[in-house]
Amino acid sequence: MITVRLPSALRSGPSDTLTVSERVSSIAELVDILELRIPGLRVQLDDSVFNFAVNDELLLHHVAEHSLNDGDIVEIVPTISGG
Amino acid sequence: MAVRERVERLVAELPREAQFPTHGATLFIDLERCEVRRAYTPLGVIRAFLAGRGANMFYLYRLLDETLGPLHPDVPLIFGSGVLTGIVPSAARGNATSWSPESGVIMDCNAGDYFPSFMKMNGIDHLVLYGRAATWTMLRVKEGRVDFLDAGRYAGLDNIDLRDRVAADFGGMWTRDLAMANITRAGENQVLTSAIMAGPKACYARGGPGAKMGSLHLKAIVIQGQTHDFDTAQPYKAYNRAIAQQLLDTSVVKHALRTMGTPFLYKPSRLLGAMGTRNNQQTTWTDRLDADHITPYRPGMAGCFRCPVNCRPLNRLNDNPMDKYGAGDGPEYVTLGKFGPNLGIDRVEAVIRLNNICNDLGLDTASTGSAVAWAMELYQRGIITRHDTAGVDLAWGDADQIERLLFMMSGREGFGNVLADSTRAVERGHYPPEALRYRMAVKGLMQSDPHDARILKAFALGLAVATRGMDHLRNRVTLEINARINDDAAFKERLYGGPVSAAPTSYVDKERAVRVCENLYAVGDSVGMCRFTTKLFNSPSLPGLEQFSTQIAKVTGLAFDEGNLDRVGLNIMGLERMINARLGVGREHDTLPDRWFEEPITVGAYKGEHIDRAEFGAMLSRFYRISSLTDDGVPIDTWRRELEAIIAGAGGA
Ligand code: SF4
Repeated sequence: MITVRLPSALRSGPSDTLTVSERVSSIAELVDILELRIPGLRVQLDDSVFNFAVNDELLLHHVAEHSLNDGDIVEIVPTISGG
Repeated sequence: MAVRERVERLVAELPREAQFPTHGATLFIDLERCEVRRAYTPLGVIRAFLAGRGANMFYLYRLLDETLGPLHPDVPLIFGSGVLTGIVPSAARGNATSWSPESGVIMDCNAGDYFPSFMKMNGIDHLVLYGRAATWTMLRVKEGRVDFLDAGRYAGLDNIDLRDRVAADFGGMWTRDLAMANITRAGENQVLTSAIMAGPKACYARGGPGAKMGSLHLKAIVIQGQTHDFDTAQPYKAYNRAIAQQLLDTSVVKHALRTMGTPFLYKPSRLLGAMGTRNNQQTTWTDRLDADHITPYRPGMAGCFRCPVNCRPLNRLNDNPMDKYGAGDGPEYVTLGKFGPNLGIDRVEAVIRLNNICNDLGLDTASTGSAVAWAMELYQRGIITRHDTAGVDLAWGDADQIERLLFMMSGREGFGNVLADSTRAVERGHYPPEALRYRMAVKGLMQSDPHDARILKAFALGLAVATRGMDHLRNRVTLEINARINDDAAFKERLYGGPVSAAPTSYVDKERAVRVCENLYAVGDSVGMCRFTTKLFNSPSLPGLEQFSTQIAKVTGLAFDEGNLDRVGLNIMGLERMINARLGVGREHDTLPDRWFEEPITVGAYKGEHIDRAEFGAMLSRFYRISSLTDDGVPIDTWRRELEAIIAGAGGA
């Protein structure tokens, strides 16, 4: 099972947390599953403001192929780049 | 040659009339003699450097006597507004320029709020201030005229009280018909981290501008006047609307800047393991300072002159009218980092309160937080002891003690006098030389932001080569933190005009991205555009050279294509390096703190990352090559002569 935390900008319901019990082995596969649950999410995620963090570690490149394991917590983090 | 002769000679070469619609005057103000001379920046200089930061550098180059010291009254303090300041949405910015008393290299800092736009509204592009007034003085600017007023009754006031008193005395309203740039007690006491305040929080912050203004005995510049539209070369409002829409449609503006402001960046930096903690001894800190935790204390957002973004978070800690620091403006990400993890503070309420105090005391939170963190690490290591701190226990995370230290700094009392000397504490005999090893500074300037750049090599190069010292706002390739962009090689190549490695830790081609950003940001500063809303800083979709060139043409009638503007950005960097060379800066100063070369990061996915000296040296050489700089980091001969000709001949027509 993978736990997914969404920022308020991407939430479709009241909760910021989704659980994905299907087998997924990469971020790309996770996005496929999420798209089924939240239609249009893939397009929204195609935006430089959103980054992925897995188990509290921010991914900076090779995101789609980043491998996932059972029990991982994936967070979508809106990222302002400069401040 | 004394500054008056230099001014005399320069003014004799300058045009007496505006050279294009919206061209503001340059006022040369002799504070000692209470005299004002008026002229205009020549077109040749505008074509090479624009206005704002760019033309400020022209004036500094012509008037600087490097045999003096930064606080000598013959070294001018120069304010400049950009070509589009006050005219285009989000172009609310201006620069203050001099020789930095903190760093010893160029001082050049940028502020928004209303002051730069009100300069422009009054038909003024630059104020060149020199000479030491006999007593504390205030300048009042109204309808383009300057009056010298006695500021004795305002001396000793900090920002909150001063703004209240001036609004009451002048009968105006901030944001409507009154704007001010002022110093606080910290500036009066020549604290090297003191800012020139331009609003409740907005300030010209970096390099000790408050101390410089204090050295001239100038307490404040008050500008009165009604806002108005400008007579321009062509109609410009329709394109302004397009720019405003572009700003509001940009995802980072919608999802982050307008809702929470820059504190949003704390979380990504923390998750990356790149959050400077305890003077960069560690690189990650608590999630209790994530922007979400500031939300309960954020009653709303504020903004600068005619900026539709409104990115500045306000704060309210309590409703107690007796608590001067119970509400305020901020904190921005820089303050959150510098007064949170960097000082070992983990309570958001404490950071907000310290932010409010710094705004009142007129302290640059970047240098101030860094100076305190440096002292704390020295204390932790036993390099300084209670004996050196006059009994103060410099424990990490003690917010009450830090609060007391801020007031002591502002008054240069006790150990506050040491902190007030910022990066110069060793040179002034307060700390032993071994303390320099732990100073997080480049070219004498403390790091501007809390991001630890051992991971992202483009960030590291930018901090090393920034002309004003260790500062991310000059050239940061901020989009390196966006995976979506790193993973699209073709898009990234288009953004930076050639390939740039997707790997954040790679050194390959990072110099190209820094070069492109440095040019664009220098142009942004010289037209007056806010960095947050300039392309490549927060998003690839924000206004950049294309929009600037279109609107410069409509507003001024001057033709600049994107290539010309890119060249202007390069020229500004080149001129800044020529000034720095006069101040003794060379290749050895384009470097980073020892810690980043010698101590690897110990947490997160990038554990083990540090800066490799050989790789860094090679990247720096490549940066010099593509920037037309010699091996010592100054413009190559042919280009230097070209720039000198423009400057010496005041540019011609
Ligand atoms: S984006 Fe924010 S800081 Fe920049 S001009 Fe607008 S309100 Fe001011």
